[in-house]
Amino acid sequence: MTQSTTETTTAPAPRWVTTRQKAPSVADVSRVAVLATMAILVLVPIVWTFLSSFKTSSELAERPPSLLPDSFGLDNYTTALASFNFAIYLRNSVIVVVGATLLTLAINSMAAYALAKYNFRGRDVLFMLTLATIMIPLQVILIPVYQVTAQLGLVNTLWGMIIPAAATPTGVFLLRQYMLTIPDDLIQAARIDGAGEFRTFISVVLPICKPALAVLAIFSVVWRWNDFLWPLIIAQNENVYTLPVAVARFAGQQVVPFNLILAMSVVSMVPVIVVFLFTQRHIVQGIASTGIKG
Amino acid sequence: MTATPVQERPRARRPATAKRRRPRPLGLRLAPYLFLLPNMLIFGVFTIYPAVNGFNLSLYDSRNLRTFNYVGTRNYERILSDEQFLSVVVNTLLFVVAFVAVSTTLSVLFAVLLDAQKRGRAFFRAVLFLPVLLSPVIVGLVWGWLLDRNTGLVNSVLGTVGLGQPGWLVEPRLALSAVVLVGVWTHLGFYSLIMLAGLQSIDANLYEAADLDGAGAWRKLTQITLPLLKPTTMVVLILATINGFQAFDFIYTLTGGGPVGATTLIVQFIYEKAFQSPIRYGLASAGSVLLFLTVFTITLINWLIGRRQEAT
Repeated sequence: MTQSTTETTTAPAPRWVTTRQKAPSVADVSRVAVLATMAILVLVPIVWTFLSSFKTSSELAERPPSLLPDSFGLDNYTTALASFNFAIYLRNSVIVVVGATLLTLAINSMAAYALAKYNFRGRDVLFMLTLATIMIPLQVILIPVYQVTAQLGLVNTLWGMIIPAAATPTGVFLLRQYMLTIPDDLIQAARIDGAGEFRTFISVVLPICKPALAVLAIFSVVWRWNDFLWPLIIAQNENVYTLPVAVARFAGQQVVPFNLILAMSVVSMVPVIVVFLFTQRHIVQGIASTGIKG
Repeated sequence: MTATPVQERPRARRPATAKRRRPRPLGLRLAPYLFLLPNMLIFGVFTIYPAVNGFNLSLYDSRNLRTFNYVGTRNYERILSDEQFLSVVVNTLLFVVAFVAVSTTLSVLFAVLLDAQKRGRAFFRAVLFLPVLLSPVIVGLVWGWLLDRNTGLVNSVLGTVGLGQPGWLVEPRLALSAVVLVGVWTHLGFYSLIMLAGLQSIDANLYEAADLDGAGAWRKLTQITLPLLKPTTMVVLILATINGFQAFDFIYTLTGGGPVGATTLIVQFIYEKAFQSPIRYGLASAGSVLLFLTVFTITLINWLIGRRQEAT
């Protein structure tokens, strides 16, 4: 594989000699070959899904499959949204994402501020407790969380998807680390100016934390948009399905034609891809520095 | 009780002084608790209380989460002698071992390759990371469609090269391999990124010294990069192990746990016992507790090994 690529760049006869002299270039070529293979394996399924989402059922059934759809008409999209209630599921997803992200930003930043900038009894214990819960994934407390949520009457409501996941330990950790770098003098100065504690937090601390808040907002949007297990449990009525729940349920039951399912899959993928294109650097740095997953 | 960076403890016995200097007004003392309240309330109600209560629930039999029947350790006895559960445990262990091994190895490989790649590094890194952000449910759905025996793109390509039509999702062992590969496809970018960060924190002087000593690329890799990457590898191992045990979303749409339960892993088992009839909350809770203990123990062992290695 690597040799055929070198062949094109070097003369055939003294190939052995040239490649040996240019030893690093063989390494370069094989490295690029591996990376390019990886890129193909990642991109082909995504691009193929995108192209296929414009195909009709009969085009999808064609063997061998054609690369491009006959037309890039939006029939699959409009039919799914209009005739199969996907507009409702999409709206539910958006409400959950926006609501949960706003709530997460608000309560995580307040908690982080207390943990970063106050000395009070129980601070270290509360911080350790917060960190320790990173070790308790939803999967191992599914039933007791469901029980609490049911007792509060939040099953089959969008609140039931928004509230329980809002107090993210990773968000508290990320924001606290960032707030530790804010000089105490700045906060003290605001106090001396007569600003109350909450006022200081809102008008002095939060504006400084914008970069960290942006990272958390990006993560939160991606987490909640892709959330599945919890919404699957909470949304038992179709009218509160989120997009992933609807796609998964309907794909399994084969109620909705597959070309429409593909279109809705694209609707699910496009926002995160767009977010990623614009915020790549934030995400990469956020992960590199904290190990938080998108 | 002491609030904020207060320099001096005001004396309660001398209210006049305290009043004049006002070093800790009530608002200031209460402020941190009020700031913490909403987060800790949700946290307590939806994470900490359930975490404690989970053990409790596993000692009861319940079909509706309202009436509970104390059964002691019977749920554990029953689950450990349940044939379906035992095969689920085997599936889960096979999956986790393969998933962790493949994704850790590949993440080292791609971190090294990305680090060495100067031109287009940002592009390759972005592409590798992209699947991490996609909805796992959609990823499972798309791969299930691509891997379909008769109509999938993968077999269409294999067919034209003359490699036949493997029943990816139809044959039990092949299906579990497909689940591992799709899992790796989803998570690899995340692990590689962590590895890359670890790689780039290695002191560049070490490589310069090695260059002066005439060390080749291979020696630098085996003598400098890999040994110094051990702590990061540990992190990735732990994360991959935890993610492996938690796997559910993409399998739900990829295979649905089939064929004949060959890809049913522990989380799906818990989900089905708790939310599909016949409902057995106690049994599901016992499964959850066992999962929790497993993940916790493995994390602890990993961590202890990591510490020993750092010490020596």
